[in-house]
Amino acid sequence: MTDSVITGIGVISSLGVGREVFWRNCMAARPGLKKITGFDTSALQSDVAGWIDDFNPAQFLPQMTYRRMSRASQMAVAASIEALDDSGLDITIIDKSRVAVIMGTAYGSSSCIDDFFTGFLREGPRCANPFLFSETVPNAPASHIAMFHRITGPNTTFCQNMLSFETALLYAQNILRNNNADIVLVGGVDELSAEQYACYDALGCINKVKAGDGGRILPRPGGGFILGEGAAVLVMEGREYARRRKANMRGMLKSVTTVGGGFTPGQHRKQCGQLSHAVSIAAKEAGISPDKIDQISICANFSRELDLFEYNQLRAFFKSRGDTLAVSPLKYLMGDFGGAGAVRAAAVLLSLYLQQPLPTLSAEVLRVDSVSPLSWNTGSSCTTRAVLMTSATLTGSSAGIIFTAAEECGAA
Amino acid sequence: MAEQNLQRVVVSGIGIITSIGESLPAFRQGLFNGACGIGPVTLFDTSGFPCQLAAQVQHENLKFFFAPRETKRMSRCDLLGLIAAREAFSDASLTPEVYEGKAISVILGAGAGSMLSWEHYRRSTYSGKARTRPSVLLSVPQCTLTDSIANRYRLCGHRATIATACSSSATAIGYGFDLIRSGDSDIVVTGGSESLTELTFAGFNSLRLMDSGCCRPFDKNRRGLSLGEGAAMLMLESYEHARKRNATVYAEVLGYAVNADAYNMTSPDPEAAGMSAVMAAALVKAGLSMDRVDYINAHGTGTQINDAIETIAIKKVFGNRHALSIAVSSTKSMVGHCLGASGAIEAAATVLAIAEQIAPPTLHVDTPDPACDLDYVPGMARKQPIRTALSNSFAFGGNNTCLVFGRAPMPNGKKGCAL
Repeated sequence: MTDSVITGIGVISSLGVGREVFWRNCMAARPGLKKITGFDTSALQSDVAGWIDDFNPAQFLPQMTYRRMSRASQMAVAASIEALDDSGLDITIIDKSRVAVIMGTAYGSSSCIDDFFTGFLREGPRCANPFLFSETVPNAPASHIAMFHRITGPNTTFCQNMLSFETALLYAQNILRNNNADIVLVGGVDELSAEQYACYDALGCINKVKAGDGGRILPRPGGGFILGEGAAVLVMEGREYARRRKANMRGMLKSVTTVGGGFTPGQHRKQCGQLSHAVSIAAKEAGISPDKIDQISICANFSRELDLFEYNQLRAFFKSRGDTLAVSPLKYLMGDFGGAGAVRAAAVLLSLYLQQPLPTLSAEVLRVDSVSPLSWNTGSSCTTRAVLMTSATLTGSSAGIIFTAAEECGAA
Repeated sequence: MAEQNLQRVVVSGIGIITSIGESLPAFRQGLFNGACGIGPVTLFDTSGFPCQLAAQVQHENLKFFFAPRETKRMSRCDLLGLIAAREAFSDASLTPEVYEGKAISVILGAGAGSMLSWEHYRRSTYSGKARTRPSVLLSVPQCTLTDSIANRYRLCGHRATIATACSSSATAIGYGFDLIRSGDSDIVVTGGSESLTELTFAGFNSLRLMDSGCCRPFDKNRRGLSLGEGAAMLMLESYEHARKRNATVYAEVLGYAVNADAYNMTSPDPEAAGMSAVMAAALVKAGLSMDRVDYINAHGTGTQINDAIETIAIKKVFGNRHALSIAVSSTKSMVGHCLGASGAIEAAATVLAIAEQIAPPTLHVDTPDPACDLDYVPGMARKQPIRTALSNSFAFGGNNTCLVFGRAPMPNGKKGCAL
């Protein structure tokens, strides 16, 4: 079986634009949640999101290139540029038919969809904007990455709600194992739009939190998730391929598993078992016992059902850790979106590479219903060999992913 | 991956609903009789559009197919998909007794079908009049059909929803093939669903890619595509698994390939580099020489550029001479362009073509085009030997997929007709 390693990371996130800023803010547990100023939220129940107010595509791309891209595509291409640069790959001299682009996104560009449709409603059938229409397809970000770098290998986009990146990662691993490519750019992306925010607000599933004086934000745990946006792209390749080109390995993907729950959507508490099942399979495939897992990056996002579900599943898997279970819910800092798994994976891999543990919270916060500030444990130091990343949707899919430090970086 | 561990993958069930047939027997009849499902749209107002035709599934109210409680909060796109999935399970004789405890994955392709629900909601919020209930938004995410099928049949394997526009469900079938071949799944429910939406209707009209009449792929006077809707689901399983349970097998999936043009969001590469490369790669993956291919189900949209470039691509791969001996047809001339479901519907047509040894026709090819000079099986289906066949899907964004199917394996290991 081909071992897959990650050799490049690019991140555009509310925690920071670019890998270094992102990592600094991540380690300091500095929240990327802000009052939304990009669109009017006065009629909505919330005005907070993990939105990115300092992303300027001109930092990464020529204007002629990005002007007809959606924000989602711009962020995805920017992340791919940073990831390729980090990987040390000279994209101009490799066989680009052996490079794949696999992305995960919940919606692609929701703003282009809304702009196109409302333009059609406003102006009539003969005035709909064709340039916007081509950006409404969810595969636009992956296609723009391919077009920008002239990558002609397999190109696929997965839309699996909050598990979009995780399903993309599984397919990316599949591509390397089947020798359909030598290198895969795998990532996730989603943009925040007024219409998407309004829809979630109307459904009543986002955290009813308003920014207080001085921008102070206190989301209510269990009160619903907070939307976010961002993109991350990882350069993944076979370990032998990476060794041959003397690549700097950020970490290794030991296993990735997705399972379905086969139950009624939203009934996590009644019919649990699927997430711990996914984690068990992932651990077994990685050949790692629970006591060898040093960090847990969880998918908790402030929604009562998902957070409690995850709490119960993790407690079942990590029985021996009792009440001392510490977890890293990065979505508490950056909000949630379909491609968020890619940003979480970027944090995990940087943690493994730099041997700096991610900030943690006691797992007990997942079942606490209070609005007191979260007490993050930052700056701890211990060897990190293996990290478990968990993900789940409210519609019955769960994923377990295990990353380890690459043997070549000495921490394994 | 060690070759000896790879499973052979077969199609053991099909479920389908399209404008030319709302069940597998009806679709089969329409496909080989050259039925055209393109007509006026009644799902929404098309006045004001240059083109007002599409291949709409006749039943406007698909809830007719289900008990009322089953259809709560479901979009038209999901209902079409569930109808097809239900038929596929039945056609494959897969009852809970047979599949319980097995690793069954659901890998689907999605287009824009679920947007129809959002459009109703958005239209009401935009106009400020009576507001549609927000609960209709629950069916908007692309993966709701995948989850609905998995939850309905209590399937606990992988779930994935691929969204690469017009190649989505073809790529989903390819991924399903991978999962069976590697032994990761025992059975895969794969395919796609699409319903007509105002978004896509307005979009393709804005791009001036729609024919105001019926689409006429490969005809000299073709003026664009006709949109369509429908769903198709294929049951994939390993040949061994199918043989042990005495399943009917339609065809074998021999391989697939995906690639990218990396050229333009809406236009194919004029050199046909991506299209030809994906067909060539699929043949290599399937271990086939080009002279074994007797039939190609073309992407064949009916646009000037696609049909001419696809013809170039086929000639590039097979050579000018051999290309002329291959039957090439466009199912879209009958069922329209079903976007996210088109790859699955055309895969089903290809599988049926192999099983029945009949090449489906291309309708409305009345005037030969020097740029499209292959054998497009004009007007009428043709009985002929079909050993292996390709199904092409080319999408917005330059996403290309090619599936390769062969005749069903015989129990003694020889190749033959469907069991």
